[in-house]
Amino acid sequence: MILLLVIALLVWRGAQRGMVIALWVVGVVALIGLFRFHVTSTLDLSF
Amino acid sequence: MADAMVGSEPTLDDEAARRGGPWGFITFWGLHAWVVAYSVVMLSAFFIQFVMGEFPCPLCMLQRYGMILATLGALFVIMQARRGELTTARYAQGLGMGLVGVLAGASVSVRQIALHILPGDPGYGEPFLRLHLYTWAFVTFAIVMIYIGVMLMLMPRGIPEAPAVGTAARKVSTVIIWVFIGVIAANVIAIIFLEGFAAVLPDDPTSYNLIDQLTGR
Repeated sequence: MILLLVIALLVWRGAQRGMVIALWVVGVVALIGLFRFHVTSTLDLSF
Repeated sequence: MADAMVGSEPTLDDEAARRGGPWGFITFWGLHAWVVAYSVVMLSAFFIQFVMGEFPCPLCMLQRYGMILATLGALFVIMQARRGELTTARYAQGLGMGLVGVLAGASVSVRQIALHILPGDPGYGEPFLRLHLYTWAFVTFAIVMIYIGVMLMLMPRGIPEAPAVGTAARKVSTVIIWVFIGVIAANVIAIIFLEGFAAVLPDDPTSYNLIDQLTGR
């Protein structure tokens, strides 16, 4: 979440687009990693 | 043949030259509506957290994270428009960031909905208007997906156009942006209190870890 705050401040200050997008991609990867960490069970569901 | 096609079809730059007018106004403030909507959603989540005393689970926080991640795409476009640097390509980049963000957030919502999908399961937390908050989160993600689709259809005629510096509209835009940044900062503080000195959030929080750790409870 600190990373997202940093990205928002960088966007506000007009930082380089490449840096903003690179950090944003790191944010997406972090979300996927945290999701993977917190999802520890398989659901016994079939659709 | 390819040259003939380029000659007969307007290029993206030709289209961009015709931008502005009501569509530019609508899309600029549409992006602000997105920022305001998610700021209100997260402020409501704070109300439920602090006033009603419901602690957010890790999946709840990840959905907030997805909302912020997506809204950074809107913020990216707004700031480019305010600086007069927004091109069709950069607008598409911002909308792309928004789309990936809402897809990531929606994935978390779907997982939490699936966790409580069996008949008789009470769900996590108290429902609001008959739906649990993670279901509402999915609804918001779906709305933003539709919004981005419509914005892409309007492109390039609907490239956002920012109001001039010093106008009241510009000040309103600034206030909306800073409220959103404030909401992100509040989430950072909330997570620090929930996590305490741990690296990740507790699976089923019942108190603020930081307070417990500092007071030795």
